[in-house]
Amino acid sequence: MTWLSWRLQRTETIVALGILALLAALLVPTGINMWDAYHHSGLGACLGANPSFSCGNRIGDFRAQFQSLSDLANWFTLVPGVIGVLLAAPFVADLENGTYRLAWTQSVTRGRWLLARLGLPFLAALLVGGGLALLFNWWRGPTAHLDGRLDTGIYDSTGTVMIGYTLFALGLAIALGALWRRSAASLVVGFVGYFATRIGVDYKLRAHLVSPLTATWKGAQEPSFLNDARIISLRATVHGHEVLSGGGGFIGGTAKVGVPGLKNAVFHAVYQPNSHYWPLQLTETALFAGVALLLIAFAAWRVLRTD
Amino acid sequence: MSAALETQALGRRYGSQWALRDCTLEIPRGSVTALVGPNGAGKTTLLRLAVGLTRPSAGSVRVLGLDPHADAADALPRVGFLAQEHPLYGGFRIEEMLRVGRELNPGWDDDAARARIAELDLPLKKKVRSLSGGQRAQVALTLALAKRPELLLLDEPVASLDPLARREFLQSVLEAVAEREMTVVLSSHILADLERVCDHLVILATGSTQLVGSIEEIVASHRLLTGPRDGAEDVTRTHEVIRESHAERQSTLLVRANGHVYDARWTVHELDLEEIVLAYLGQDAARRREAVAS
Repeated sequence: MTWLSWRLQRTETIVALGILALLAALLVPTGINMWDAYHHSGLGACLGANPSFSCGNRIGDFRAQFQSLSDLANWFTLVPGVIGVLLAAPFVADLENGTYRLAWTQSVTRGRWLLARLGLPFLAALLVGGGLALLFNWWRGPTAHLDGRLDTGIYDSTGTVMIGYTLFALGLAIALGALWRRSAASLVVGFVGYFATRIGVDYKLRAHLVSPLTATWKGAQEPSFLNDARIISLRATVHGHEVLSGGGGFIGGTAKVGVPGLKNAVFHAVYQPNSHYWPLQLTETALFAGVALLLIAFAAWRVLRTD
Repeated sequence: MSAALETQALGRRYGSQWALRDCTLEIPRGSVTALVGPNGAGKTTLLRLAVGLTRPSAGSVRVLGLDPHADAADALPRVGFLAQEHPLYGGFRIEEMLRVGRELNPGWDDDAARARIAELDLPLKKKVRSLSGGQRAQVALTLALAKRPELLLLDEPVASLDPLARREFLQSVLEAVAEREMTVVLSSHILADLERVCDHLVILATGSTQLVGSIEEIVASHRLLTGPRDGAEDVTRTHEVIRESHAERQSTLLVRANGHVYDARWTVHELDLEEIVLAYLGQDAARRREAVAS
């Protein structure tokens, strides 16, 4: 059964690894450039020794050189979705073409069939997702030091979340496939659903995955502990009257809250500190991977039940 | 020894629609049985229930004495199944399809499978996708046969084939039966396809069984009687009337005779199998019309 499952999954797995290799071919040279520039311009040493605002010129130079590349890289947040949906395709095709009935009328039980047919794409998604995570963790290194690792684009492609994203896209497409038995519809809707879920989590849920902290201070100068934190919402009051309010979840760069003319205002911030990076990463990864497992279990139940 | 296939009041419902209803039959081991009925009579459902692809909504089914669902691990290796659309993995080469059989079946006979493919003049490297309908059917049959099943179920195996491929396919089935002890059930909505190869017949109509028996016995027991109209009632009392038509003074009855017809006023004609089957299917159609009318 393992051989059959691999044979049915072979092309898609190789294409998924090909996409990973293609990304590596693109990112490794630019990543080497970035790390080079980061070290040789003294930016790394500067950031290591000082708070970021005192390395202004070096940061400016670095950004000018790599900003377009970094912006482009934000699109790579779609890659786990593509990989997951791609790896789900053979299973859905098996259901659509009715070839699963061929396997079910050989001598293996459905339990063994399911284990092999779903286990292999799961392992492949784990492998490729892990590869993506490794590649991006390295490539995002310099920009993570610069913009803070809680910056949405950086957070999305570092740590372990890419593994969760890949598994989630796989699970979603497989569950839809088990429901509809239509390849094209399941894969397209699976990808769109992946994207929509990601947007929802990025902008709404993520800020609350780990309880955020609150801070209150007086005056226009933001406290230094907010330098590499993510501001979730910010209010300013003068004599108890609200004069400024802002939110927007995890959107936007590190908040610059120094607003002129608000010298006497009291600021209230809800924020995620830099130290919450790993708790957030692990919670979000577990969330996506857990939902992926539930979706795959649903697909298995559905497939066993329908006939 | 238990029957090859045995059902008791077997039924399967999809939503509110019964695909198969109250089907009771027994197919003896070693027989080659034609499962005949109009489209939608439940032939496919019955075979899928027998191989465990579908679960019964009512009644029970046993293959070789086993429950195809609960005892799947024991039953599956002993039952071969060929679905109507001959599902095969399109992107596989023929040799890869054989490997599928080898990997998935403990009783797989690889030599026999390769010999059959060679006999069919099919190159092992050829992709399944590029085969003709007849060739696909043959490869699918090879897969089902090399599993060495005790019971082979073929669902409309020749429906999609041209006349020549039909002949060749059925010939292959016959050869396989001659080679080793095996029970075969073939379904079709056209009897002529199967008459040549079968020794047993099951007529399935409106989702329930109408007639089960050996073809020899069925042909021997069915007669067409022509005689006086006023004598028709006497005949009905002893024999089972399948179809009747009445003229002003004369009646024509197609009966399943219970012994001889002694009444000398009746002329007795023998019938061939096709006429008998048509009578049953006609009876079924008439019943359905009545059901619709009422």
